[in-house]
Amino acid sequence: MNNQISLTVNGIQHTLEAKPNETLSGLLRERLRLTGTKIGCEEAECGACTILVDGEPVVSCIYPAERADGKSITTIEGLAQRVHKEMKLHPLQEAFVEHGAVQCGFCIPGQIMTAYALLQRNPDPDSADIRFALKDTLCRCAGYPSIENAIIAAAQSLRTGEPVQKPSHIPDSIHDHKTVGHSHLRPEAVEKVIGTAIYTDDLVFDGMLYAKARRAMIPHGFLKKLDISKAKEIPGVVAVLTAEDIPAERNHGLVIFDWPVMVGIGERVRYVGDALAIVAAETQEIAEQASALIEAEFDLQPVITNAVQALQEGVPQIHEKGNLLKHIKVRKGDMEKGFAEADVILEHTFHTPATDHAFIEPECSIGVPLSNGRMEIYVGSQIPYQDRTQVARVMGWPEERIRVVGQLMGGGFGGKEDVMGQIHVAMLANVTQRPVKLLFDRHESLLVHPKRHATQIRIKMGAKKDGCLVAMETELYGDTGAYASLGEKVMTRATTHSAGPYDIPNVRADCYAMYTNNPPAGAFRGFGVTQSAFAVESMMDKLAETLGIEPVELRRMNALRVGSITNTGQVLKESVGLTECINKVDAEMRKHNPLPFQPVVVPSPHPLSRRERGAGVRGTWCAPGALPPPTRTQVSAAAPPTSLARTWNSTKTARSRCGVPPLNSVRDWSPSCA
Amino acid sequence: MNLWQNYVRPKNLSEAMNAFATAPRPLIPIAGGTDLLLDLEQGRHSPVQTLIDVTSVAEMTALEVRGDELYIGASVPVNRIVLNPLAVHHVQALTEACNLIAGPQVRNVATLGGNVAHALPAADGTIALLALNAQAEVADITGTRRVPFKELFVGPGKSSLKHGEELLVGFHLPLSKNGQASCFKRIMRPQGVALPIINLAIWLERTNDVISQIRIAVGPGGPTPWSGTEAEKALIGKTLNNETFEIALDALLAQVGFRSSARRASADYRRHIVSGLFKDVLETAWSRAV
Repeated sequence: MNNQISLTVNGIQHTLEAKPNETLSGLLRERLRLTGTKIGCEEAECGACTILVDGEPVVSCIYPAERADGKSITTIEGLAQRVHKEMKLHPLQEAFVEHGAVQCGFCIPGQIMTAYALLQRNPDPDSADIRFALKDTLCRCAGYPSIENAIIAAAQSLRTGEPVQKPSHIPDSIHDHKTVGHSHLRPEAVEKVIGTAIYTDDLVFDGMLYAKARRAMIPHGFLKKLDISKAKEIPGVVAVLTAEDIPAERNHGLVIFDWPVMVGIGERVRYVGDALAIVAAETQEIAEQASALIEAEFDLQPVITNAVQALQEGVPQIHEKGNLLKHIKVRKGDMEKGFAEADVILEHTFHTPATDHAFIEPECSIGVPLSNGRMEIYVGSQIPYQDRTQVARVMGWPEERIRVVGQLMGGGFGGKEDVMGQIHVAMLANVTQRPVKLLFDRHESLLVHPKRHATQIRIKMGAKKDGCLVAMETELYGDTGAYASLGEKVMTRATTHSAGPYDIPNVRADCYAMYTNNPPAGAFRGFGVTQSAFAVESMMDKLAETLGIEPVELRRMNALRVGSITNTGQVLKESVGLTECINKVDAEMRKHNPLPFQPVVVPSPHPLSRRERGAGVRGTWCAPGALPPPTRTQVSAAAPPTSLARTWNSTKTARSRCGVPPLNSVRDWSPSCA
Repeated sequence: MNLWQNYVRPKNLSEAMNAFATAPRPLIPIAGGTDLLLDLEQGRHSPVQTLIDVTSVAEMTALEVRGDELYIGASVPVNRIVLNPLAVHHVQALTEACNLIAGPQVRNVATLGGNVAHALPAADGTIALLALNAQAEVADITGTRRVPFKELFVGPGKSSLKHGEELLVGFHLPLSKNGQASCFKRIMRPQGVALPIINLAIWLERTNDVISQIRIAVGPGGPTPWSGTEAEKALIGKTLNNETFEIALDALLAQVGFRSSARRASADYRRHIVSGLFKDVLETAWSRAV
């Protein structure tokens, strides 16, 4: 049944032969080469692929292309107008650029198209209208406030006909500098808002093949058998490689080379994402088909699921050197003496889960062999020089033979530092002598790439009645997963910062960075301090409550200052801005509310719910550093039927709830110099 | 991914039935496809050869009053239902339910046909249709017939529709009269892409300050869309006050079969929070029925 698809895209008529399995996003990106529409999830969740069909926003990644027959499509490329030789931006595009709403840019086409549709039906939306309409267009660069401001500015410009108003809230600089104190537009922001910005998956090369990795999908075991014969027989499959085909070094890594490029027969699988084989084929579909036909047999092993278990006696050791990646220690003073001097001692154990970066752009690498024997790798990577080193090691080549052409990244946040597809495409491109693209789908991205470390942190804190800290003992377990990645460095950071930015005479910290059969953990903004700051600051709030001292005052009293000696023995001779920072923030906070930590019962029409609001504050540092602004925590508790009222409705519980942030809501407000 | 080989777009029911009869099998009708395509892609649905796109079937895209009923075609995008003044007036609970499905982009293509055919016990549109006493119109090659709504569901995700033979065409709903009102609400996590932890729909008729008729639907209250019949019985002929509410709540809790879901909530938690939701929806419907 060869149907035709006749559709209008951005005012231009196209007639194409229908293809099976084609989505509208596929038609636009691959056949019409309009790559401004991005694929984030392929599950209609993230909104990155939003386009307009007959004026209405739809997600194109699950819209069958054939249904678009007879319809009028508008994509991001259709918004700007070409006026003579210049690009005249639509007010939305201009506003997004001016208001700094464009960061990595990957979600932007979806945001703009959805906003465009909103403004067509509601020319004067308020904040609630915008948030409702854009509920399912996600941004991971924390762009929502600027996106909202941009839409409001664009709406105003469209209503009044006046140019888009620039943002008014740029703080003055103290001195008149050329650069500081002025708004600077991001260099590639315009390309990002008109849809011409190129990310790796937007590139195609002549004769390009598509790759897929066959992953173990078991957490722990030894590979006994691997059968690639069925995969090789499929027409259109050009190469299937296994660990036997690795030219030189078998492992890669950022600090420790413990991560196999592929797991071979008799070797150990340490997490579900370990690659067993890689396939290159003429189309993505064929590559996936072939990969699914690769059969593997394992000798399953008991699974290490968390860092504490990993340290126990008698559990399987998943690396030759054992499960302990590193034991990190901090020692200062005399703990026994310190705790003996304390008037109050508090102890608590905290847990933080692993989190995924969830950058909207899934990982993509392209390997292109050059006729002179060199290899180009196109990839959106945070550390292209390291990529080159790692590829060279595995290929057994001098580094000069490889050129990494860094592409725009649709978000990284630490998650695009480890090698993901770079080595695999280099190997496949080298064997086939054709360009090879490896694109992760969202599931693969979630399974495979390193996460933020899950931790268990026990803190024992001793203080005098007046709030002065005298002793702090911390014990951390970090789950670095199957491979080290940057686990050593992350957990070292977590450990050295685990006593907070405070001047404490006696400090002891022990951290066990452990291998487990979870996905590897590595860099993610915060880099270990997110976890340990959460723990220590929660304890500080608890201490403040116990001693009846104001939370900000408790921090001020203990803050590191010039002359302090840190927990790692560094003498701070100059430039310690913490107290000044605390004072400035405190003053600003109290302008709006003189009693920010007093929970206020919000009247609720509903007899069965109780809401309170109050503020939380944390001190954080980056050897030494800044205090982030206090956050509003809203506590909403629905009381169950009266028989259980006792356990819920005590005011004391509610009050302490406002002081101590809920344990399962870790905000990612990492210090900027992490 | 091999999701489909053939794509057919019938313009009316007769063409649709013809496609059912002649297209390469296995085949399945697709409307918005926002659940179906993901199920196919991720292996939760067995592979198909043909997708029969029913979004252009004339009988399935109508939304209009027919006699003393409101007819909503199974292929009407739920956003259209939300915005339609007839729907807002006559089947308010349904518009409230539709407005909570997924997100704005998905609502521009998602349909009640898909919602009901997927047969999930907490599907928002389904729960509202249940409380509103919808009747389904089902087509096969012999013609069309009415099916009582409850008969469409066999188990979680299992529709009684004969695969590859029967097609959901639309829903018939009674028009709203004076003294009648409905309401739908959900408990869900506030952020991002949220599925219901519990949803609840009530339709009632208020005569002389007493509940003369009432239908209560709760999702997920069991393996299929669930009616709180005991709670309904407890409220018939009563006025609404704290006492009658408590009795009705007890009856509901005694009958409902909450289960613990790994991703959404435990049965215990659901038992705790349903009371607040029940009171909310009941009070709202009651005050709307004045």
